[in-house]
Amino acid sequence: MEKKLTLGRRFLLSRATSVLVVLVLILLLFSLFSPEHRFVDPDNLKVLLSLGAEFSIIALGVGMLMICGEFDLSIGSILVFCSFVFLKLFELEVNPFIIAVVTVFVGGALGLVNGLITVRGQIPSFVTTLGTMMFWRGLTLLLSGGEQTACDVSALGTKAASRFLALFTGRAGGFLPAQFLWFTLFAILLGILLHYHRFGNWVYATGDNRDAARAMGINTDWVKTACFIIVGVLCGVVACAQIGRLACFTSRTGEGWELKAVAASVVGGTSLRGGIGSMMGIFLGAIVISVIENGLVVLRIPYFWTYVFFGLVVLFSVLSSMYIEKKQMEAHR
Amino acid sequence: MERLIQFLRRRAASTFLVFVGLVLIFAFLSPRYVFVHSRNIAALGKLFPDLGIVTLGIGMLMICGEFDLSVASVLPFCAYIFARTLYAGLAPSWGLFFALLVGAALGWFNGFLTVKTRMPSFITTLGTLMFWRGVLYIWSKLMPLGIRQYIPSGSLFEKVLTGTVFGFFPVQSLWFTLFAILLGILLHYHRFGNWVYATGDNRDAARAMGINTDWVKTACFIIVGVLCGFSACMQSVRIGSFAATQGINFELRAIAACVVGGTSLRGEIGSMSGVVLGALTIPILDNGLVLLRVPVMGISAFIGLATILFVLLNTYVERRFR
Amino acid sequence: MERENNDFLVRMVNIHKWFGRVYALRGVDFEVRRGETVGLIGDNGAGKSTLIKILSGYHHADQGEIYFEGQRVSIRSPRDARGLGIETVYQEQALAPNLSISRNIFMGREPLRRLGLIDKKVMDEESMQALANLGLKLRSPDVPVVTLSGGERQGVAIARALHFKAKLVILDEPTVALSVKEVEEVLEFIRQLQREKVSVIFITHNLYHAFDIAERFVVMARGKKMADVKKEDTSPQGLSDLVLKSAFVAE
Repeated sequence: MEKKLTLGRRFLLSRATSVLVVLVLILLLFSLFSPEHRFVDPDNLKVLLSLGAEFSIIALGVGMLMICGEFDLSIGSILVFCSFVFLKLFELEVNPFIIAVVTVFVGGALGLVNGLITVRGQIPSFVTTLGTMMFWRGLTLLLSGGEQTACDVSALGTKAASRFLALFTGRAGGFLPAQFLWFTLFAILLGILLHYHRFGNWVYATGDNRDAARAMGINTDWVKTACFIIVGVLCGVVACAQIGRLACFTSRTGEGWELKAVAASVVGGTSLRGGIGSMMGIFLGAIVISVIENGLVVLRIPYFWTYVFFGLVVLFSVLSSMYIEKKQMEAHR
Repeated sequence: MERLIQFLRRRAASTFLVFVGLVLIFAFLSPRYVFVHSRNIAALGKLFPDLGIVTLGIGMLMICGEFDLSVASVLPFCAYIFARTLYAGLAPSWGLFFALLVGAALGWFNGFLTVKTRMPSFITTLGTLMFWRGVLYIWSKLMPLGIRQYIPSGSLFEKVLTGTVFGFFPVQSLWFTLFAILLGILLHYHRFGNWVYATGDNRDAARAMGINTDWVKTACFIIVGVLCGFSACMQSVRIGSFAATQGINFELRAIAACVVGGTSLRGEIGSMSGVVLGALTIPILDNGLVLLRVPVMGISAFIGLATILFVLLNTYVERRFR
Repeated sequence: MERENNDFLVRMVNIHKWFGRVYALRGVDFEVRRGETVGLIGDNGAGKSTLIKILSGYHHADQGEIYFEGQRVSIRSPRDARGLGIETVYQEQALAPNLSISRNIFMGREPLRRLGLIDKKVMDEESMQALANLGLKLRSPDVPVVTLSGGERQGVAIARALHFKAKLVILDEPTVALSVKEVEEVLEFIRQLQREKVSVIFITHNLYHAFDIAERFVVMARGKKMADVKKEDTSPQGLSDLVLKSAFVAE
């Protein structure tokens, strides 16, 4: 009996649970108050699940990176650069699957650059990625002229093209958007990596106490670089999915995602100091941020309210995680 | 001579040399030497203090180990307060007063939140950044408010904030210099500055020495808020209206400037002269590249590159010569 | 003095170290025998930590040789040191506070199943066993280390060293900032190490703690070894005088 109680308390005190509660509340709020319950309309859900998933996929990687004690402000810029690479290859009429592979590869390479500058130069990733954020965005603007360019994969008309679109923008069972499946797939993969694989243990150890991790023979520089690469790869994947959906390249894509992704991770209970967080929390945090964005649109609330909500949710989660931390300490004593 | 050597050993010395190099390059390469034309210098001197004054405060805050991302909302918020006060029929000096007061209050709130929750200020101010921006957008409905009618050109208030001295030297630059000197004295010659360094270096040690680190941090946040308030008024008077887009992207640009000036993101390391240098370098890079006909939208690529290179250079020089 | 060479577990000979213009170690000889506990004492800045960090692979000596079990070795990283069987329990540096006890004990050496996945069952069981061997009873291997007391944390780090069959355990100020009861706990852990014939280097400011546990004392000051005495030949008061005198002589 006593054991059960502690299990129950443990459940209530876990960070992911509090995010789940917030999510359920927000969902209820939006479902009940959206005009004609438009929030739960299948069409809107499809939009939410495809559009929101794009941002959320990258947020997963950012969360993992934060657990290992680093930041990536450059995600939006990596995304736009990858999209540009996609566009250029598309204009050469390359097979879309080859384009996708190259795009993902480029994303990983840009992640590697972030990682190398951070660990080799021994400068905080905040500065590194602040720099690369401005650099890749600026470079893309210079190269593309800042214009919107059509990039309709279906126009290729090949079999590969339609398969590509099915893979990135299709609907499983006629309803579930492929982007959402990708999101879930990545969440599960990264969750296994983080919680059941030894790499995950190294990520936590690196973020929690780098000196201890190094003393135990963990190559923390390598761990950090690998996490940066993962973020870059996810940006590449999202670039493919987004171009598939929009059928055009826009140089403004991903703007403002960097802080939104940090917010999503923090809402999901990830600490900025590293070493604390879970994939479930990050997964839910990303959904919360996407749902708020979508829900406010459906409620016809002017877009700027989003900021107030984001701000409140971030501050609320900061306070609640502080409370949980305190309670957990008491519970263990 | 002694002083010169001492200066060169400073962390930002390499930034200074690069800065001089940049000025020379732009001066010689810009078409018809327009970079050093008095009109260009005057324009630069009018524009850069908007961000520069905020940067000074951010630098001090970073030395004490904290961030403030919310400047990008606090600044337009104060600008709106300023405009609203004028619309309420009060004198411009009251507007300035209220803008400073609100800036201080928002800064205090950031500090309060940070020291009480013991969360990294990156997160608390990320929250307030979003929150105040949202509140401002809702309140102002994103409508610009013209304020020219309340501050006639040639009025004392206008002259004090945005005029020129000796016929060409922009008064904004004087304000920047004044704040830089004041904060420099505070940071390097006043005991408060010692506390700031001690707090950023090792919070526990500072606390053990009887320094109220929470108070020091909060004070630094308030200083940033007040500077935002001042910069907001200056900018509003210059452009003649309130605009919700004021201060956009200031948060990261200010940090970039501080970093270029040799301020560490981990606290404790940095100096006011370095921050001033950083606050000058970024706008000069910006301006010079425009004059070299680099497309405006691509300039951020160079600033990003410069930020990383400066940091690498500073850390390299430091490791090599200490 | 006529001991045969392989009686030594570790021998450091004529170690020099500069940090820029600071001459941190000025030709130090230092050795530990098998199963011996050595107290390394001296003032702040005496060079104790530098010496130990060279042994554990954090620093590299500018000059000098290290012999381990009679073989000349070069220790270039903490990984090398661990490979030889040298475990270091640094204050606040040994454990990741938010990770669970078992994940801490197996940090970097996780028992694996296929594809690099962690075998949690083995990890948990062996952790509890390792702690029990040390006489430390903790409720669950899943508790984050941050919730443990200072003494228990040292216990986890020492249990880890014992579990991985360390030959030499270096304890850097393990009793600092602990309550009297916790100090006794930690000293008991060290006695367990002694019973298992593990060599121990015990760095401390507190001469009484050192005196309680060590068999031999090495006093350092200003980057030099000033004295090397056996427990039989001295007393806590004698040690204290020695430390003061060496600091004075070194000036």
